[in-house]
Amino acid sequence: MLWIAIRMLTGDAQKFYGLLFGIGFSTLLITQQMTIFINLIERGASGVFNAPEAQVWVMDPVSRTTDVSFPMPATALDKVRSVEGVEWAVPHLRAAANVRTKEGDLEGVAVIGVDDATLIGLPKRMVAGDKTVLFAPDSVVIDDVGTTRLFSDGGQALGERLELNDQRAVIRGIADAIPSFTSQVVLYTRYSNALNYVPGTRNRMTFVLAGVREGESPQAVAARIEKETGLKAQTHDEFARAGINFIIENTGIPTNFGITVFLGFVVGVAIVGLTFSLFLRDNIKQFGALKAIGVTNGKIVQMVAVQAGLVGLIGYALGVVGTVLFLKAFGGNPFFKGFYIPWQIPLISLAAVVVILAITGFIAIRSVLKTEPAAVFR
Amino acid sequence: MLRNLSFSRQILPVAAVIGLLFAVYMIAIGLPDRSLAEPAEQPPKAVGALANAPRVAGAGVVEPASEVIDIGSALSGLVTEVRVRPGDKVAAGEVLFTVDARAARASLRQAEAAIGEARAAIAEASAAQATARQQLALYRSLADPAAVSRAEVIRAEGEEAAATSRLGLARARLAAAEAAAAAARTEIERLTVRAPIAGEILAVNIRPGEFVATQGGGNSQPFIQMGQTTPLHVRVDIDENEIARVALGQPAVVSPRGAAELHVSARFVRAEPQVVPKRSLTNSAAERVDVRVLQLIYELPPSDAFRVGQQIDAFIPARGKPKDAPRAQQGA
Repeated sequence: MLWIAIRMLTGDAQKFYGLLFGIGFSTLLITQQMTIFINLIERGASGVFNAPEAQVWVMDPVSRTTDVSFPMPATALDKVRSVEGVEWAVPHLRAAANVRTKEGDLEGVAVIGVDDATLIGLPKRMVAGDKTVLFAPDSVVIDDVGTTRLFSDGGQALGERLELNDQRAVIRGIADAIPSFTSQVVLYTRYSNALNYVPGTRNRMTFVLAGVREGESPQAVAARIEKETGLKAQTHDEFARAGINFIIENTGIPTNFGITVFLGFVVGVAIVGLTFSLFLRDNIKQFGALKAIGVTNGKIVQMVAVQAGLVGLIGYALGVVGTVLFLKAFGGNPFFKGFYIPWQIPLISLAAVVVILAITGFIAIRSVLKTEPAAVFR
Repeated sequence: MLRNLSFSRQILPVAAVIGLLFAVYMIAIGLPDRSLAEPAEQPPKAVGALANAPRVAGAGVVEPASEVIDIGSALSGLVTEVRVRPGDKVAAGEVLFTVDARAARASLRQAEAAIGEARAAIAEASAAQATARQQLALYRSLADPAAVSRAEVIRAEGEEAAATSRLGLARARLAAAEAAAAAARTEIERLTVRAPIAGEILAVNIRPGEFVATQGGGNSQPFIQMGQTTPLHVRVDIDENEIARVALGQPAVVSPRGAAELHVSARFVRAEPQVVPKRSLTNSAAERVDVRVLQLIYELPPSDAFRVGQQIDAFIPARGKPKDAPRAQQGA
């Protein structure tokens, strides 16, 4: 009997493919837009993700994110080290600078000074070169997206000389980093070099990165640091969240993407609802005949559910595969660097598909359930 | 069976399932690695008993027990000889370098010549005095006053007095020449620079032929730096806000920069009486500070890991809370 439902569904190829298109399109729209949205706002936390060793970030109380920060005096490092439960603490400098390229262009860069001895604060992986190249004098490591910005003509970045605050900086490595929200060029260098590369203000150290002793929770240690030093301390996750919230609060991105996702949902409901209703209405005679031979309403609901399920399965698969292929195809583009599909998003779009089908199916099925077996003769 | 294969009824659903599995796989491998990483290299950290006890951290610099002595020169001139090299161990009083002493030597020889001359004058004057005295004695021994005229006697007396005063003058000239010779010798001695204490030569910034000026100071480099390097001391800066927490007198855990896995226990020596502005180690000339620090001096145990001028990270025990045991021990 359910097989009949499927034959009934696929018998009308036009409407069948129309339904698939409707579901597929809204799944694609919802999944793809939410993926880009999530990845885009996570760019606000890229600075945190790019320093994977830091369990706790300590900063001036007015600092908000990795890029909106206020420097502290150098002795803040020793204060943090004095706090119980802190395994280690290292200085971290983030500042903006201007660099003159070989073509004579001016490019704003972010200079990140990582700890001199341990290089804590560098991204986890390198594209070219080794982390230890930073021990060489005047060396900087550039991020991979920055390479495309600074050397747009496809020039070789390694070994290039830059001029930073009248100082020589030689690119000796390329880091595999998540680009920042503005895709600014990022230069990683040692803390002592960074002090020279960035024109000086009185206080220079923007962050202290700390590790937590085994057996202590980062939250507890962060709270203790705040209490004992008067500085602001946030765990890795909290600070990443702060960066994301900053983007959400200060840009129109959530609204824009929210509208698109909502539109995807509406388009899905509209196309699928119309087509499904039309399809069921066209087949009202067949349902009448089924009723005439004694098929119960319950069985008919099952049949419609199977039809909706098949449409949903294929349409959803089309949408999700489409998103995957989309990201795969554009993965090479610097804008999409590091983009991924959070596993929650396909589940959300699945829920959306189920809701779309439930709403449209419910609307469409009412007329079928009310059908008299006599309809077959009309 | 194959003839009955329907695209929309069979192939499409199977393709959809395969596509979904593919998507799940792609999403799973595409998830980013956001896990926290362990530092590749060991950062400085408190170890041992301090790890779980209240503590104060500070940064510092290694220095000789005598602090660094910038050797100066008493006189200016050209360097003729440098007797030490960096790393040499010297005893107190050992010659470090000599400054051109030709002028001083010349005046010594001049003074010596003057001594010879004065001696000759003394000899001449005393000979003249002796002759005059003999003559006067002869005249006085004559019984007959008419034997020699009164004028002759007066002349003889005058000759004797003149010879005596000439002798006095010559003696005074000898003393002056001897003093001049002594002054020249002192000058030569001052042109030889010697080690004020036993210790190690840390830096030699002069070479023979260079000019050393006594008006040093300012930005000029010290000629030679030396210091007592056994034992070495570390000067640890403690933020002024933490001063109250430091348990003075307790040993500190010290590790050199870049080799945090190496840590030694350093003995407390003293705390500087004055709280001073933090000396920044960024080498930036424009550096300004608003932080003051207490400087604590600790003695390092013998070790090859530390060199003068090296930066270190130190962890010092802190006074516990009132009920804590460490405080009670300290009070006892």
